Amino acid sequence: MAYTLRLYLTCIRNTLEAAMCLQNFPCQEVERHNKPEVELKTSSELLLNPILICRNEAEKCLIETSINSLRISIKVKQADELENILTKKFLRFLSMRAEAFQVLRRKPVQGYDISFLVTNYHCEEMHKHKLIDFIVQFMEDIDKEISELKMSVNTRGRLVATEFLKQFI
Amino acid sequence: MATPSGRRMACLHRASPAVEEILLELHSKAKPMEVDHNIYEAGSVRYHIKGSASEAQELYLSITIPSLSPEVLPVKDLQHNTLQTIRKAYSSVAEIVEPPREGFQLTLRLDFRKFPPRKDDCSKLIAEIASLQGVILSSQLKDIIWNLGSQVPVEGMYRPIKLIYHPREPFFVIRMTEKIIAIFPMRFKDDSDVILATAFFQELMDVGSSTTWAKAPFCSWSPIPPPELRGEPFHDLSTNAGFVSFEILSWHVEGAKLDKTVWCLLNFPAYVKYHIKCTRGFIQRRMRRRLERLAEVMQKAKEDEDGYITRQEEKTRKIGM
Repeated sequence: MAYTLRLYLTCIRNTLEAAMCLQNFPCQEVERHNKPEVELKTSSELLLNPILICRNEAEKCLIETSINSLRISIKVKQADELENILTKKFLRFLSMRAEAFQVLRRKPVQGYDISFLVTNYHCEEMHKHKLIDFIVQFMEDIDKEISELKMSVNTRGRLVATEFLKQFI
Repeated sequence: MATPSGRRMACLHRASPAVEEILLELHSKAKPMEVDHNIYEAGSVRYHIKGSASEAQELYLSITIPSLSPEVLPVKDLQHNTLQTIRKAYSSVAEIVEPPREGFQLTLRLDFRKFPPRKDDCSKLIAEIASLQGVILSSQLKDIIWNLGSQVPVEGMYRPIKLIYHPREPFFVIRMTEKIIAIFPMRFKDDSDVILATAFFQELMDVGSSTTWAKAPFCSWSPIPPPELRGEPFHDLSTNAGFVSFEILSWHVEGAKLDKTVWCLLNFPAYVKYHIKCTRGFIQRRMRRRLERLAEVMQKAKEDEDGYITRQEEKTRKIGM
Protein backbone atom coordinates (compact mmCIF):
# COMPACT_ATOMS: atom_id res chain seq x y z
CA MET A 1 0.00 0.00 0.00
CA ALA A 2 1.28 3.48 -0.83
CA TYR A 3 2.60 5.46 2.12
CA THR A 4 0.18 8.34 1.55
CA LEU A 5 -2.76 5.95 1.30
CA ARG A 6 -1.74 4.27 4.57
CA LEU A 7 -1.59 7.66 6.31
CA TYR A 8 -4.97 8.63 4.87
CA LEU A 9 -6.61 5.39 6.00
CA THR A 10 -4.98 5.50 9.44
CA CYS A 11 -6.30 9.02 9.91
CA ILE A 12 -9.81 7.88 8.96
CA ARG A 13 -9.55 4.86 11.25
CA ASN A 14 -8.46 6.98 14.22
CA THR A 15 -11.19 9.53 13.58
CA LEU A 16 -13.83 6.80 13.32
CA GLU A 17 -12.62 5.21 16.56
CA ALA A 18 -13.04 8.53 18.32
CA ALA A 19 -16.34 9.39 16.65
CA MET A 20 -18.08 6.05 17.00
CA CYS A 21 -19.33 6.50 20.57
CA LEU A 22 -23.02 6.41 19.84
CA GLN A 23 -25.90 5.98 22.24
CA ASN A 24 -29.62 5.52 22.01
CA PHE A 25 -31.36 8.89 21.86
CA PRO A 26 -35.10 9.34 21.17
CA CYS A 27 -36.22 12.00 18.75
CA GLN A 28 -36.86 15.38 20.43
CA GLU A 29 -39.42 16.46 17.86
CA VAL A 30 -41.65 13.42 17.51
CA GLU A 31 -42.72 11.34 20.49
CA ARG A 32 -41.91 7.59 20.47
CA HIS A 33 -39.68 8.04 17.42
CA ASN A 34 -36.00 7.30 17.20
CA LYS A 35 -34.29 8.78 14.18
CA PRO A 36 -30.65 9.26 13.11
CA GLU A 37 -29.95 12.84 14.14
CA VAL A 38 -27.13 13.19 11.61
CA GLU A 39 -29.72 12.83 8.83
CA LEU A 40 -32.47 15.02 10.34
CA LYS A 41 -30.21 17.70 11.84
CA THR A 42 -33.16 19.12 13.84
CA SER A 43 -31.26 19.89 17.05
CA SER A 44 -27.85 21.49 16.74
CA GLU A 45 -26.89 20.48 20.30
CA LEU A 46 -26.99 16.81 19.21
CA LEU A 47 -24.53 17.32 16.34
CA LEU A 48 -20.74 17.44 16.46
CA ASN A 49 -18.54 19.33 14.05
CA PRO A 50 -18.08 17.42 10.79
CA ILE A 51 -14.54 16.32 9.98
CA LEU A 52 -13.17 16.41 6.46
CA ILE A 53 -10.11 14.29 5.74
CA CYS A 54 -8.50 14.87 2.34
CA ARG A 55 -5.76 12.85 0.69
CA ASN A 56 -5.78 15.21 -2.26
CA GLU A 57 -8.34 17.28 -4.19
CA ALA A 58 -9.96 14.21 -5.74
CA GLU A 59 -9.96 11.90 -2.70
CA LYS A 60 -11.65 12.91 0.51
CA CYS A 61 -13.77 11.57 3.35
CA LEU A 62 -16.38 13.47 5.34
CA ILE A 63 -17.28 12.17 8.80
CA GLU A 64 -20.41 13.71 10.31
CA THR A 65 -21.26 12.72 13.85
CA SER A 66 -24.32 13.08 16.05
CA ILE A 67 -25.41 11.60 19.36
CA ASN A 68 -27.00 8.47 17.89
CA SER A 69 -25.61 8.20 14.37
CA LEU A 70 -22.57 8.70 12.21
CA ARG A 71 -22.40 9.41 8.49
CA ILE A 72 -19.29 8.69 6.47
CA SER A 73 -19.13 9.97 2.90
CA ILE A 74 -16.30 9.06 0.56
CA LYS A 75 -15.09 10.61 -2.67
CA VAL A 76 -13.06 8.17 -4.74
CA LYS A 77 -10.20 9.18 -7.04
CA GLN A 78 -11.13 9.25 -10.76
CA ALA A 79 -8.10 10.09 -12.82
CA ASP A 80 -9.65 9.69 -16.29
CA GLU A 81 -12.93 8.92 -18.05
CA LEU A 82 -12.44 5.17 -17.83
CA GLU A 83 -11.85 5.32 -14.06
CA ASN A 84 -14.86 7.62 -13.81
CA ILE A 85 -17.28 5.16 -15.43
CA LEU A 86 -15.77 2.18 -13.62
CA THR A 87 -16.17 3.96 -10.27
CA LYS A 88 -19.72 5.00 -11.11
CA LYS A 89 -20.66 1.49 -12.25
CA PHE A 90 -19.10 -0.18 -9.22
CA LEU A 91 -20.51 2.16 -6.60
CA ARG A 92 -23.95 2.05 -8.20
CA PHE A 93 -23.75 -1.73 -8.20
CA LEU A 94 -22.92 -1.69 -4.46
CA SER A 95 -25.58 0.92 -3.61
CA MET A 96 -28.23 -1.20 -5.33
CA ARG A 97 -27.22 -4.09 -3.07
CA ALA A 98 -26.99 -1.95 0.09
CA GLU A 99 -28.97 -4.51 2.11
CA ALA A 100 -25.90 -6.79 2.01
CA PHE A 101 -23.95 -4.23 4.05
CA GLN A 102 -26.63 -2.73 6.35
CA VAL A 103 -24.61 0.43 6.94
CA LEU A 104 -24.42 1.46 3.28
CA ARG A 105 -26.62 4.38 2.25
CA ARG A 106 -28.54 3.86 -0.99
CA LYS A 107 -27.88 7.43 -2.10
CA PRO A 108 -24.58 9.19 -1.46
CA VAL A 109 -24.38 12.65 0.10
CA GLN A 110 -24.14 15.34 -2.59
CA GLY A 111 -20.56 15.83 -3.78
CA TYR A 112 -19.47 12.33 -2.71
CA ASP A 113 -19.50 8.94 -4.42
CA ILE A 114 -20.69 6.70 -1.60
CA SER A 115 -22.02 7.18 1.96
CA PHE A 116 -22.43 5.00 5.03
CA LEU A 117 -24.86 5.59 7.86
CA VAL A 118 -23.96 3.94 11.17
CA THR A 119 -26.52 4.17 13.98
CA ASN A 120 -26.28 3.18 17.63
CA TYR A 121 -28.22 -0.01 16.78
CA HIS A 122 -25.47 -1.07 14.37
CA CYS A 123 -22.90 -0.48 17.12
CA GLU A 124 -24.95 -2.67 19.46
CA GLU A 125 -25.31 -5.45 16.91
CA MET A 126 -21.75 -5.44 15.63
CA HIS A 127 -18.29 -5.11 17.02
CA LYS A 128 -17.21 -1.51 16.78
CA HIS A 129 -13.62 -2.28 15.78
CA LYS A 130 -14.76 -4.73 13.11
CA LEU A 131 -17.23 -2.20 11.74
CA ILE A 132 -14.35 0.28 11.43
CA ASP A 133 -12.26 -2.48 9.83
CA PHE A 134 -15.02 -2.96 7.29
CA ILE A 135 -15.18 0.72 6.34
CA VAL A 136 -11.40 1.00 6.00
CA GLN A 137 -11.23 -2.27 4.05
CA PHE A 138 -14.06 -1.01 1.83
CA MET A 139 -12.11 2.13 0.98
CA GLU A 140 -8.97 0.13 0.33
CA ASP A 141 -10.84 -2.39 -1.84
CA ILE A 142 -12.58 0.25 -3.93
CA ASP A 143 -9.25 1.81 -4.89
CA LYS A 144 -7.73 -1.58 -5.62
CA GLU A 145 -10.75 -2.79 -7.59
CA ILE A 146 -10.91 0.30 -9.78
CA SER A 147 -7.18 0.13 -10.59
CA GLU A 148 -7.40 -3.60 -11.34
CA LEU A 149 -10.54 -3.19 -13.43
CA LYS A 150 -8.93 -0.43 -15.47
CA MET A 151 -5.87 -2.54 -16.07
CA SER A 152 -7.96 -5.58 -17.02
CA VAL A 153 -10.15 -3.58 -19.42
CA ASN A 154 -7.04 -2.21 -21.15
CA THR A 155 -5.39 -5.64 -21.28
CA ARG A 156 -8.54 -7.19 -22.75
CA GLY A 157 -8.69 -4.34 -25.28
CA ARG A 158 -5.08 -4.98 -26.30
CA LEU A 159 -5.70 -8.71 -26.73
CA VAL A 160 -8.85 -8.13 -28.78
CA ALA A 161 -7.03 -5.53 -30.92
CA THR A 162 -4.20 -8.01 -31.51
CA GLU A 163 -6.69 -10.73 -32.53
CA PHE A 164 -8.37 -8.32 -34.94
CA LEU A 165 -5.16 -7.20 -36.62
CA LYS A 166 -3.90 -10.79 -36.78
CA GLN A 167 -6.66 -11.55 -39.30
CA PHE A 168 -5.06 -9.26 -41.89
CA ILE A 169 -1.67 -11.02 -41.83
CA MET B 1 -13.18 -13.28 -31.15
CA ALA B 2 -14.27 -16.61 -29.75
CA THR B 3 -17.07 -17.35 -27.31
CA PRO B 4 -16.35 -19.51 -24.21
CA SER B 5 -17.59 -22.54 -26.14
CA GLY B 6 -14.85 -21.91 -28.70
CA ARG B 7 -17.18 -20.91 -31.57
CA ARG B 8 -17.14 -17.47 -33.10
CA MET B 9 -20.04 -15.16 -32.48
CA ALA B 10 -22.72 -15.74 -35.14
CA CYS B 11 -22.51 -12.30 -36.73
CA LEU B 12 -18.70 -12.49 -37.08
CA HIS B 13 -18.80 -15.96 -38.56
CA ARG B 14 -18.45 -15.81 -42.36
CA ALA B 15 -20.64 -18.83 -42.96
CA SER B 16 -24.31 -18.36 -42.14
CA PRO B 17 -24.89 -20.65 -39.12
CA ALA B 18 -28.52 -21.41 -40.06
CA VAL B 19 -27.75 -22.27 -43.69
CA GLU B 20 -24.76 -24.36 -42.64
CA GLU B 21 -26.82 -26.34 -40.13
CA ILE B 22 -29.68 -27.00 -42.58
CA LEU B 23 -27.32 -28.11 -45.37
CA LEU B 24 -25.42 -30.42 -43.02
CA GLU B 25 -28.67 -31.94 -41.79
CA LEU B 26 -30.07 -32.43 -45.30
CA HIS B 27 -26.85 -33.93 -46.58
CA SER B 28 -26.62 -36.40 -43.70
CA LYS B 29 -30.26 -37.52 -44.13
CA ALA B 30 -30.48 -40.78 -46.07
CA LYS B 31 -34.20 -40.45 -46.76
CA PRO B 32 -35.33 -37.82 -49.32
CA MET B 33 -37.66 -35.19 -47.92
CA GLU B 34 -39.49 -31.99 -48.81
CA VAL B 35 -37.82 -28.81 -47.47
CA ASP B 36 -38.85 -25.20 -47.78
CA HIS B 37 -36.96 -22.87 -45.45
CA ASN B 38 -37.03 -19.07 -45.42
CA ILE B 39 -34.22 -17.55 -43.37
CA TYR B 40 -33.67 -13.89 -42.49
CA GLU B 41 -30.29 -12.80 -41.18
CA ALA B 42 -29.26 -9.44 -39.71
CA GLY B 43 -32.65 -8.07 -40.78
CA SER B 44 -31.71 -7.65 -44.44
CA VAL B 45 -30.20 -10.88 -45.80
CA ARG B 46 -32.76 -13.46 -46.96
CA TYR B 47 -32.13 -17.08 -47.84
CA HIS B 48 -34.50 -19.65 -49.25
CA ILE B 49 -33.71 -23.36 -49.27
CA LYS B 50 -35.95 -25.63 -51.32
CA GLY B 51 -35.69 -29.34 -51.86
CA SER B 52 -38.17 -31.93 -53.03
CA ALA B 53 -38.59 -35.61 -52.30
CA SER B 54 -38.61 -36.45 -56.03
CA GLU B 55 -35.23 -34.77 -56.66
CA ALA B 56 -33.49 -35.99 -53.53
CA GLN B 57 -29.96 -35.19 -54.70
CA GLU B 58 -30.69 -31.59 -55.68
CA LEU B 59 -31.31 -28.56 -53.54
CA TYR B 60 -32.05 -24.95 -54.46
CA LEU B 61 -30.39 -22.21 -52.41
CA SER B 62 -31.55 -18.64 -53.12
CA ILE B 63 -30.22 -15.44 -51.62
CA THR B 64 -31.00 -11.75 -51.70
CA ILE B 65 -28.89 -9.09 -50.03
CA PRO B 66 -29.14 -5.30 -50.11
CA SER B 67 -26.60 -3.41 -52.17
CA LEU B 68 -23.43 -2.38 -50.34
CA SER B 69 -23.58 1.03 -51.92
CA PRO B 70 -27.00 2.12 -53.23
CA GLU B 71 -25.35 5.23 -54.75
CA VAL B 72 -22.78 3.36 -56.83
CA LEU B 73 -24.63 0.06 -57.28
CA PRO B 74 -28.33 0.91 -57.42
CA VAL B 75 -29.39 -2.12 -59.50
CA LYS B 76 -31.07 -4.97 -57.68
CA ASP B 77 -29.56 -7.79 -59.78
CA LEU B 78 -26.05 -9.06 -59.20
CA GLN B 79 -23.31 -7.71 -61.46
CA HIS B 80 -21.71 -9.85 -64.13
CA ASN B 81 -18.38 -9.92 -62.24
CA THR B 82 -20.09 -11.14 -59.07
CA LEU B 83 -21.84 -13.94 -60.97
CA GLN B 84 -18.52 -14.94 -62.51
CA THR B 85 -16.89 -15.10 -59.05
CA ILE B 86 -19.73 -17.27 -57.72
CA ARG B 87 -19.52 -19.57 -60.75
CA LYS B 88 -15.79 -19.93 -60.17
CA ALA B 89 -16.14 -20.53 -56.44
CA TYR B 90 -18.87 -23.20 -56.60
CA SER B 91 -18.43 -24.69 -60.07
CA SER B 92 -17.64 -28.15 -58.72
CA VAL B 93 -20.89 -28.64 -56.79
CA ALA B 94 -23.37 -26.01 -57.87
CA GLU B 95 -24.66 -24.12 -60.85
CA ILE B 96 -26.46 -20.81 -61.18
CA VAL B 97 -30.13 -21.12 -62.10
CA GLU B 98 -31.37 -18.58 -64.66
CA PRO B 99 -33.62 -16.78 -63.96
CA PRO B 100 -33.33 -16.80 -60.15
CA ARG B 101 -36.33 -17.58 -57.93
CA GLU B 102 -38.78 -14.68 -57.78
CA GLY B 103 -37.84 -12.12 -55.13
CA PHE B 104 -34.21 -13.31 -54.95
CA GLN B 105 -31.03 -12.13 -56.62
CA LEU B 106 -29.40 -15.51 -57.05
CA THR B 107 -30.44 -19.16 -57.04
CA LEU B 108 -27.93 -21.98 -56.88
CA ARG B 109 -28.71 -25.59 -57.69
CA LEU B 110 -26.63 -27.77 -55.37
CA ASP B 111 -25.91 -31.30 -56.46
CA PHE B 112 -25.30 -33.62 -53.50
CA ARG B 113 -23.91 -36.30 -55.83
CA LYS B 114 -20.88 -34.08 -56.46
CA PHE B 115 -20.17 -33.56 -52.75
CA PRO B 116 -16.98 -35.22 -51.45
CA PRO B 117 -17.54 -38.58 -49.70
CA ARG B 118 -15.35 -37.77 -46.66
CA LYS B 119 -17.28 -36.14 -43.84
CA ASP B 120 -14.61 -33.51 -43.04
CA ASP B 121 -14.27 -32.40 -46.66
CA CYS B 122 -18.03 -32.28 -46.97
CA SER B 123 -18.41 -30.09 -43.84
CA LYS B 124 -15.75 -27.76 -45.20
CA LEU B 125 -17.56 -27.48 -48.53
CA ILE B 126 -20.90 -26.82 -46.83
CA ALA B 127 -19.26 -24.05 -44.76
CA GLU B 128 -18.01 -22.54 -48.02
CA ILE B 129 -21.50 -22.70 -49.54
CA ALA B 130 -22.94 -21.10 -46.40
CA SER B 131 -20.41 -18.26 -46.90
CA LEU B 132 -22.21 -17.24 -50.09
CA GLN B 133 -23.05 -13.83 -48.64
CA GLY B 134 -19.36 -13.18 -47.91
CA VAL B 135 -18.40 -14.14 -51.48
CA ILE B 136 -21.01 -11.80 -52.96
CA LEU B 137 -20.02 -8.93 -50.66
CA SER B 138 -16.29 -9.16 -51.33
CA SER B 139 -16.92 -9.37 -55.05
CA GLN B 140 -19.29 -6.38 -54.90
CA LEU B 141 -16.81 -4.35 -52.88
CA LYS B 142 -14.01 -5.18 -55.30
CA ASP B 143 -16.27 -4.10 -58.16
CA ILE B 144 -17.29 -0.87 -56.43
CA ILE B 145 -13.73 0.15 -55.61
CA TRP B 146 -11.95 -0.75 -58.82
CA ASN B 147 -14.58 -0.44 -61.52
CA LEU B 148 -17.80 1.37 -60.63
CA GLY B 149 -16.63 3.95 -58.10
CA SER B 150 -13.52 4.93 -60.03
CA GLN B 151 -13.78 8.42 -61.40
CA VAL B 152 -11.12 10.95 -62.19
CA PRO B 153 -8.88 11.21 -59.12
CA VAL B 154 -8.43 14.62 -57.53
CA GLU B 155 -4.90 15.12 -56.14
CA GLY B 156 -4.29 11.36 -56.20
CA MET B 157 -7.48 10.61 -54.27
CA TYR B 158 -10.85 9.34 -55.47
CA ARG B 159 -14.19 10.44 -54.05
CA PRO B 160 -15.17 8.59 -50.81
CA ILE B 161 -17.68 5.78 -51.42
CA LYS B 162 -20.30 5.32 -48.73
CA LEU B 163 -20.94 1.65 -47.95
CA ILE B 164 -23.88 0.35 -45.97
CA TYR B 165 -23.48 -3.14 -44.56
CA HIS B 166 -25.27 -2.67 -41.25
CA PRO B 167 -28.22 -0.32 -41.95
CA ARG B 168 -27.39 2.19 -39.20
CA GLU B 169 -23.62 1.99 -39.50
CA PRO B 170 -22.39 3.28 -42.86
CA PHE B 171 -18.67 3.58 -43.47
CA PHE B 172 -16.49 5.05 -46.17
CA VAL B 173 -13.91 3.61 -48.52
CA ILE B 174 -11.49 5.86 -50.34
CA ARG B 175 -9.29 4.63 -53.13
CA MET B 176 -5.89 6.30 -53.35
CA THR B 177 -3.02 5.67 -55.70
CA GLU B 178 -1.20 3.14 -53.49
CA LYS B 179 -3.73 2.22 -50.87
CA ILE B 180 -7.37 2.12 -49.83
CA ILE B 181 -8.57 3.89 -46.70
CA ALA B 182 -11.58 2.54 -44.83
CA ILE B 183 -13.07 5.07 -42.40
CA PHE B 184 -15.63 4.00 -39.79
CA PRO B 185 -17.69 6.70 -38.05
CA MET B 186 -18.38 5.10 -34.66
CA ARG B 187 -21.63 5.68 -32.80
CA PHE B 188 -22.85 4.19 -29.51
CA LYS B 189 -26.08 4.61 -27.60
CA ASP B 190 -24.59 4.49 -24.12
CA ASP B 191 -22.02 6.98 -22.81
CA SER B 192 -20.12 4.27 -20.95
CA ASP B 193 -19.84 2.30 -24.22
CA VAL B 194 -18.21 5.33 -25.82
CA ILE B 195 -15.50 5.36 -23.14
CA LEU B 196 -14.90 1.60 -23.37
CA ALA B 197 -14.74 1.87 -27.16
CA THR B 198 -12.32 4.81 -26.98
CA ALA B 199 -10.04 2.79 -24.68
CA PHE B 200 -10.19 -0.05 -27.22
CA PHE B 201 -9.37 2.26 -30.14
CA GLN B 202 -6.32 3.56 -28.25
CA GLU B 203 -5.14 -0.02 -27.78
CA LEU B 204 -5.83 -0.76 -31.45
CA MET B 205 -3.70 2.21 -32.45
CA ASP B 206 -0.90 1.19 -30.06
CA VAL B 207 -0.88 -2.42 -31.27
CA GLY B 208 -1.12 -1.39 -34.93
CA SER B 209 1.81 0.99 -34.67
CA SER B 210 4.10 -1.53 -32.94
CA THR B 211 6.87 -3.14 -35.03
CA THR B 212 5.47 -6.66 -34.40
CA TRP B 213 2.36 -5.74 -36.38
CA ALA B 214 4.08 -3.74 -39.10
CA LYS B 215 2.31 -5.82 -41.79
CA ALA B 216 -1.13 -5.19 -40.33
CA PRO B 217 -3.10 -2.23 -41.74
CA PHE B 218 -2.13 1.06 -40.15
CA CYS B 219 -4.92 2.09 -37.84
CA SER B 220 -5.73 5.55 -36.54
CA TRP B 221 -8.47 7.04 -34.40
CA SER B 222 -9.56 10.64 -34.38
CA PRO B 223 -12.41 12.35 -32.51
CA ILE B 224 -12.99 14.66 -35.50
CA PRO B 225 -13.70 13.67 -39.12
CA PRO B 226 -10.49 12.94 -41.07
CA PRO B 227 -9.68 15.34 -43.95
CA GLU B 228 -10.53 12.63 -46.52
CA LEU B 229 -14.22 12.96 -45.59
CA ARG B 230 -14.36 16.71 -46.19
CA GLY B 231 -17.54 17.58 -48.05
CA GLU B 232 -19.57 14.56 -46.92
CA PRO B 233 -23.09 15.16 -45.51
CA PHE B 234 -23.17 16.35 -41.91
CA HIS B 235 -25.40 13.50 -40.66
CA ASP B 236 -22.81 10.97 -41.80
CA LEU B 237 -20.07 12.74 -39.89
CA SER B 238 -21.86 13.27 -36.58
CA THR B 239 -20.53 10.64 -34.18
CA ASN B 240 -19.98 10.29 -30.45
CA ALA B 241 -16.97 7.95 -30.56
CA GLY B 242 -14.91 9.48 -33.36
CA PHE B 243 -13.56 7.92 -36.54
CA VAL B 244 -11.42 4.81 -36.96
CA SER B 245 -9.39 4.55 -40.17
CA PHE B 246 -7.56 1.57 -41.64
CA GLU B 247 -5.03 1.86 -44.43
CA ILE B 248 -5.32 -1.20 -46.65
CA LEU B 249 -2.25 -1.84 -48.74
CA SER B 250 -1.83 -4.11 -51.77
CA TRP B 251 -0.65 -7.17 -49.79
CA HIS B 252 -3.82 -7.11 -47.66
CA VAL B 253 -5.98 -7.78 -50.73
CA GLU B 254 -3.74 -10.19 -52.62
CA GLY B 255 -5.50 -13.38 -53.78
CA ALA B 256 -7.35 -15.24 -51.04
CA LYS B 257 -6.62 -12.49 -48.50
CA LEU B 258 -9.15 -10.22 -50.19
CA ASP B 259 -12.20 -12.13 -48.91
CA LYS B 260 -10.86 -12.16 -45.35
CA THR B 261 -9.90 -8.47 -45.41
CA VAL B 262 -13.32 -7.48 -46.77
CA TRP B 263 -15.12 -9.59 -44.18
CA CYS B 264 -13.01 -8.15 -41.32
CA LEU B 265 -13.68 -4.59 -42.47
CA LEU B 266 -17.41 -5.13 -42.98
CA ASN B 267 -17.72 -6.59 -39.52
CA PHE B 268 -15.49 -4.13 -37.69
CA PRO B 269 -18.39 -2.25 -36.00
CA ALA B 270 -19.95 -5.58 -34.94
CA TYR B 271 -16.56 -6.71 -33.62
CA VAL B 272 -16.18 -3.55 -31.51
CA LYS B 273 -19.74 -3.86 -30.19
CA TYR B 274 -19.18 -7.49 -29.28
CA HIS B 275 -15.98 -6.56 -27.43
CA ILE B 276 -17.84 -3.86 -25.48
CA LYS B 277 -20.63 -6.27 -24.59
CA CYS B 278 -18.09 -8.81 -23.33
CA THR B 279 -16.21 -6.13 -21.39
CA ARG B 280 -19.42 -5.06 -19.67
CA GLY B 281 -20.08 -8.66 -18.71
CA PHE B 282 -16.53 -9.00 -17.42
CA ILE B 283 -16.88 -5.84 -15.29
CA GLN B 284 -20.17 -7.14 -13.88
CA ARG B 285 -18.59 -10.49 -12.93
CA ARG B 286 -15.67 -8.74 -11.21
CA MET B 287 -18.01 -6.45 -9.28
CA ARG B 288 -20.12 -9.40 -8.13
CA ARG B 289 -17.00 -11.18 -6.85
CA ARG B 290 -15.84 -8.10 -4.97
CA LEU B 291 -19.32 -7.63 -3.47
CA GLU B 292 -19.16 -11.16 -2.06
CA ARG B 293 -15.75 -10.46 -0.50
CA LEU B 294 -16.92 -7.21 1.05
CA ALA B 295 -20.09 -8.87 2.36
CA GLU B 296 -17.88 -11.46 4.07
CA VAL B 297 -15.98 -8.70 5.90
CA MET B 298 -19.32 -7.23 6.98
CA GLN B 299 -20.45 -10.64 8.19
CA LYS B 300 -17.31 -10.89 10.32
CA ALA B 301 -18.24 -7.64 12.04
CA LYS B 302 -21.49 -9.29 13.15
CA GLU B 303 -19.87 -12.46 14.44
CA ASP B 304 -18.73 -12.73 18.03
CA GLU B 305 -15.06 -13.21 18.93
CA ASP B 306 -15.54 -16.89 19.75
CA GLY B 307 -18.73 -17.64 17.85
CA TYR B 308 -21.30 -16.04 15.64
CA ILE B 309 -24.08 -14.99 18.00
CA THR B 310 -24.48 -11.24 18.11
CA ARG B 311 -25.57 -9.35 21.21
CA GLN B 312 -28.88 -8.48 19.62
CA GLU B 313 -29.55 -12.11 18.78
CA GLU B 314 -28.64 -13.04 22.36
CA LYS B 315 -31.17 -10.50 23.68
CA THR B 316 -33.86 -11.86 21.37
CA ARG B 317 -33.09 -15.37 22.54
CA LYS B 318 -33.39 -14.33 26.24
CA ILE B 319 -36.73 -12.65 25.60
CA GLY B 320 -37.91 -15.76 23.81
CA MET B 321 -37.02 -17.91 26.83
